[in-house]
Amino acid sequence: MRDPANRVSPRARGLWLLEALFGFVLLVGGSVLAGGWVGGSGWAWVPEWFAARPWLLPVTVAVLTTPFLVAEPFVRYAVHRWELSGDVVYARQGFLTREWVFVPVSRIQTVDKGQGWLERMLGLATLEIRTASHAGSSTIKGLDFRVAAELAEALARRAEQLRDDAT
Amino acid sequence: MTNPADQPPVPPSGGASGSPERADDGPPPVGGAGEGPHEGMPYGTTPPGPPEGAPPGPYGGVPPGPFPVPLRLSPKVLLIDPVRMLPSLLVPLVGVLVVGGFSSRSYLWAALGLVGTVVVAVIRWATFTYEIVGDRVEIKRSLISRSIRTIPLERVRGVDVSTPPMHRLLGLSVLKIDTGATGGDGEATLDGITVQEAERLRPLLLRRAGTAPASDAGPAVESAADAGPAERVIFAVPRRWLLYGPLSGAYLLTPFALVGGAIGLAFQWGDDLGFGQDAAWNVGQWLWARPSLLVAAVVLLVTAMPFAGGVMYAVFNWDFRLKRRDGYLVAERGLINRRSVSLESRRVRGYEIVDGLAERWVGVVRAWAIVTGLGDSETRGQLLPVVPRADATTVTGEAIGPYRSSLRPHPPVARNRRLFRAVFPWLIPAAAAGLLLLLTGSAVWSVLLVAALILAALGVPLGLDRYRSLGHGYDGERVAVRSGSLRRSMAVVERRAVVGWRLRQTWFQRRAGVFTLTVGAGAGKGGYSAIDVSAAQARDFPAEVTPEWLAPFLNAPPTGTPRPPTSG
Repeated sequence: MRDPANRVSPRARGLWLLEALFGFVLLVGGSVLAGGWVGGSGWAWVPEWFAARPWLLPVTVAVLTTPFLVAEPFVRYAVHRWELSGDVVYARQGFLTREWVFVPVSRIQTVDKGQGWLERMLGLATLEIRTASHAGSSTIKGLDFRVAAELAEALARRAEQLRDDAT
Repeated sequence: MTNPADQPPVPPSGGASGSPERADDGPPPVGGAGEGPHEGMPYGTTPPGPPEGAPPGPYGGVPPGPFPVPLRLSPKVLLIDPVRMLPSLLVPLVGVLVVGGFSSRSYLWAALGLVGTVVVAVIRWATFTYEIVGDRVEIKRSLISRSIRTIPLERVRGVDVSTPPMHRLLGLSVLKIDTGATGGDGEATLDGITVQEAERLRPLLLRRAGTAPASDAGPAVESAADAGPAERVIFAVPRRWLLYGPLSGAYLLTPFALVGGAIGLAFQWGDDLGFGQDAAWNVGQWLWARPSLLVAAVVLLVTAMPFAGGVMYAVFNWDFRLKRRDGYLVAERGLINRRSVSLESRRVRGYEIVDGLAERWVGVVRAWAIVTGLGDSETRGQLLPVVPRADATTVTGEAIGPYRSSLRPHPPVARNRRLFRAVFPWLIPAAAAGLLLLLTGSAVWSVLLVAALILAALGVPLGLDRYRSLGHGYDGERVAVRSGSLRRSMAVVERRAVVGWRLRQTWFQRRAGVFTLTVGAGAGKGGYSAIDVSAAQARDFPAEVTPEWLAPFLNAPPTGTPRPPTSG
């Protein structure tokens, strides 16, 4: 089985980087608080060396997660692809867990085009293609806004022509 | 919505499923708005209702009756409502009586409470009406806020008639109309109509959907559709098969639930009923001081499990009958609350055959129907209670359609993964307990270590059995997927219900070179997964079932810059 033909917008890397950065900041900030709390609590099971150096926890967390932070945008950009051929949407996505979805246009019930505020800043959009089944529904993230609009329009029009109410 | 020039393509198999007249009755797929699939019912397409007094056209065979007149629930329901409200009144009443010391005033309050419930019940009854107007049902409620629910008959996906004990005493029943809409408005309930009225309404409600071309209904049923409810029993479960009930594990926890409920009640209402929580605590401590008595009680409860579970099972599944009537599958069951569920054959897309460990030893299974847009499908979709496997295969084959092929095994690496997942989670606590045992030497850790090791050892047969359960297959008409061990389940879904495919690969699966292949189905659970299929199976199986969808992606990519087609 071949890869879907189209990549998402290159700016999607920025989106994933920003999203990962937010998660990173939350995680490291949380571990700073947790480290300070546990280190200063004086509980019996806290080792001496940790109580003296509570900053070890956030540093460990940062060291462990930074490779993922750096790799995620590029891996995702390599993995996330989509294609519309023969009235079937074929999309691939994922980072550590990958997903391939085939959705025939004839079974599409709704096509939603959405933009979060980050996506709006970067001129990106997310396309949600829904069928009667969650397993047959697909979300394509990081599309260029114009491409997403055209694709949504084309899918909606074609789905109306092909509509098949077997489900 | 604009009517397209193209007719929807009828799938190559699956019969007359893509009935063209239904092609445009759903909401159009739109960009932007987050519409659910069942919103936007076509109110506009229905005529404005028959003129007053005119004979109702579409229902020729049925006596005219007072159709255009809004109907009320049976007044006998007024006897039920106050009784049903009693429990919620009882506690405050007892409280009032106890605190007020049986003075005339406390009686006044109690009487007021009772009168209040009766008045509310009467008002509710008087302001609730239902009516079949033209091709839709209207249910009006104007107790506080006025609401009118309109359900087009063509949207009725099933009718569920049940008779709880009190209703049965009064000759009443509860009728639920399932419209398949999602959310709380998915169904309408007529609580307290006479049994005759329910019998009259059922064919009327189901008629519209039932007269549409039904691919599953046999010719005999088709021709009899206009003559009235033609009914044929597909299968009646013999009474002695009720003994299989406890094997399913259903209701087995009944004794514990009863005891737990009693304890909860004692704590919650103890004060109101005259004995304090202290009394309950004292009883508990008294028991705790006598461990032999406690052990005896637990042993008693455990031995009571299969009996109590069997009794509950028998009460709910008494005289189970599966019938075919007017293009509907009707499942009837129950001793005290006789329940009858109608599933529209046209919307049945397959079935699921489930068996647990104990059931597999005896060779019995349970069966559920896979239906599009069925709410509460766990209880409503039940096709068969616990019956021998051969009978289940025959009945599902006759009622819905047989699966005529075998299941293909998954690659050996799937066995390693099943074993690892069944054993490894217990090895972690075992290792931790072992480490702590070495460090502290406490006997508690050795007990935990042994327990974890026993569970890990049990994981070996469990993992092997899970691997044996894995399988998928296609017989040219239906897709079958099987997995599970403690609860093994095989789903059989018609090809026309397949709405898409999803392949999923976790990081571990990528190392092992396997995929989880999910058949997206617009019915039942929405997706049925074949776990740990090989790369070749992941590619070939969807291509075998729906070759036209996968064909563009199996070969080399198209040349030139691919753009979404913008042609109309």
